[in-house]
Amino acid sequence: MNLRDLPAMAARVLVRHPARSGLMLLAMSIGVASVVVLTSLGESARRFVSDEFASLGTHLIMVSPGRTETSGVGPSMFAGDTPRDLTIADATAVARSRYLSDVAPMVMGQANVSWGGREREAPLLGATASLRRIRRWTLAQGRFLPDGDPERDSGMCVIGAKLRKELFGPRRALGEWLKVGDRRCRITGILAEEGRSIGMDVEEVVVMPVAGALALLNRPSINRIMANARSHELMDRASEDIRQILKKRHQGEEDVTVVTQDALLATFDRILAALTYTVGGIAGISLIVAGILIMNVMLVSVSQRTAEIGLLKALGAPREEILRLFLVEATGLSMAGAFLGLAIGVLARLAILYFYPVLPLTWPIWAIGAALATALVVGLAFGVIPARRAAGLDPVAALSHH
Amino acid sequence: MIKLREIERDFAVGDQVVHALRKVDLDIQEGEYLSLMGPSGSGKSTLMHILGLLDHPTAGAYELDGRNVTGLDDAAQAAVRRNKIGFVFQFFHLVPYLTAAENAELPLVLSGIDPAERRDRVAASLASLGLSDRSGHRPDQLSGGQRQRVAIARAMISKPSVLLADEPTGNLDRSSGNEVIHLIEDLHTSHGLTLVVVTHDPEMGERAQRRIHMIDGQIREDNRGSAA
Ligand SMILES: Nc1ncnc2c1ncn2[C@@H]1O[C@H](COP(=O)(O)OP(=O)(O)OP(=O)(O)O)[C@@H](O)[C@H]1O
Ligand SMILES: [Mg+2]
Repeated sequence: MNLRDLPAMAARVLVRHPARSGLMLLAMSIGVASVVVLTSLGESARRFVSDEFASLGTHLIMVSPGRTETSGVGPSMFAGDTPRDLTIADATAVARSRYLSDVAPMVMGQANVSWGGREREAPLLGATASLRRIRRWTLAQGRFLPDGDPERDSGMCVIGAKLRKELFGPRRALGEWLKVGDRRCRITGILAEEGRSIGMDVEEVVVMPVAGALALLNRPSINRIMANARSHELMDRASEDIRQILKKRHQGEEDVTVVTQDALLATFDRILAALTYTVGGIAGISLIVAGILIMNVMLVSVSQRTAEIGLLKALGAPREEILRLFLVEATGLSMAGAFLGLAIGVLARLAILYFYPVLPLTWPIWAIGAALATALVVGLAFGVIPARRAAGLDPVAALSHH
Repeated sequence: MIKLREIERDFAVGDQVVHALRKVDLDIQEGEYLSLMGPSGSGKSTLMHILGLLDHPTAGAYELDGRNVTGLDDAAQAAVRRNKIGFVFQFFHLVPYLTAAENAELPLVLSGIDPAERRDRVAASLASLGLSDRSGHRPDQLSGGQRQRVAIARAMISKPSVLLADEPTGNLDRSSGNEVIHLIEDLHTSHGLTLVVVTHDPEMGERAQRRIHMIDGQIREDNRGSAA
């Protein structure tokens, strides 16, 4: 038999048994579609998170008080309690490292903010001029906090765009005196509306000099030091330098956690990648289920077509040819199902994009490849048993089968 | 060209052994027309299956065109069936989801003939059997006589030298049965085809030049020459 005729013959069988083929096609396509859609969602979540981190800057190093053994996300990142304090003076010392371009001490809290009788609670960020460069903020109006001695309160502050709107409405905010807690500060700038940023809602924040914020919050120490390495290659050396500087200042004790942006991102990346593989794997099970269905339907098909198989043998089809014919049927079907599943996946993606336009939905090529390959393997593997049964039939017995 | 020597075929049924063929010796010359008669269970179909290489004898030797075919492997036996032997069955055995033309084409597909030649040969074959206007019909849209004619077209499409017909008219009424047997006989005379026909109809059996009568797995009578 000519190899060209094999797929044509298999296709003819499938087309002329539409109900049976349709059922197997459906099962296979649902399996493939779910693998593709679920891994695509997982991958998109991963992208989403790494984009978020990238918006923080890729040279970023964060120093928090307290020692955690794991690099990456430690408890001190989230918990406020500190075994050993970090001070503004620590940040000033760190800033002298030649591997760092910008260093900002940071303190975070909540404060009541009021102007002209309007009052609300807002996240308060104590920082220095360097923070704008580190976080790459842009200003809608005015200027950011001025450079200067971080131990001094310049009495100026910068507010987020949404907070400005809520307090001032259509009125001019720049140059106004804002009451923050029990202190007053002069508004020198309005932050531009940021897309998004992890950790704090930039649109509602009040940023004031770290010295003033510490006094206002009545705290002795800062929460964190943010720093930018001079280049990506210097990240590790910069981190080590920070550790050494602070160790020297803290009587030889290593009591801080230095986390690079990369390490943090890598941790999230690992978690989300594992999640993606997991959902992909679970969806992959549906491919196996589809394979089992194909096998069963093919087995029924073989017994229904017993007389036909006997006839093919009588007409001179050798055993291998019958085997090939049924294998091509099974794999052809599962591949058709796989491509149909991809098409369903494309539609599902359009639907998801329609309802959640912010999601950066991507197609993991590996998932598409894996789904197609699995479909092929499943078709072959589960097609083998029916095909062998067909090929092994005794022609005389098969012909007398009714 | 066909030489059977001491062919035996035993079937094990439970702990009993059924001897369907007992030491059958048979020589068939090229172009002979042979009818096979005998009571039910006498081994006619079993003999046909062995002649057609669909079944293996338990013992004995089968020589076809000077070549011992008893020991050939599956692929080689399939090739012999493809090239030398045509079958016509009592129950037609057309593939239900294929059209008349596609059914007749099957042996050519299995032989790897290219599509253009297949089309021409199928069209010619169906035309010679008066089935041109039925080529696109499925078996369930054909009468019994038409179905058997499609089966004959299929059996003859590869130009075999032997045609084995096991009760080809067993499922047909008398007039379409006669039509079918005349078609087969025409092929025998026009192509020099070796023809073996199993039948229960004595009148039909008498038409053959050589008439074999089987009883209980053995050849009892072997009559040559025109009987009428
Ligand atoms: N697969 C089988 N298993 C067991 N016994 C079988 C098998 N095939 C045939 N036989 C037996 O072999 C003997 C010959 O059977 P065969 O089919 O050749 O008879 P036949 O002459 O063709 O009969 P009929 O005229 O009814 O078609 C019978 O006794 C039958 O029961
Ligand atoms: Mg019989």
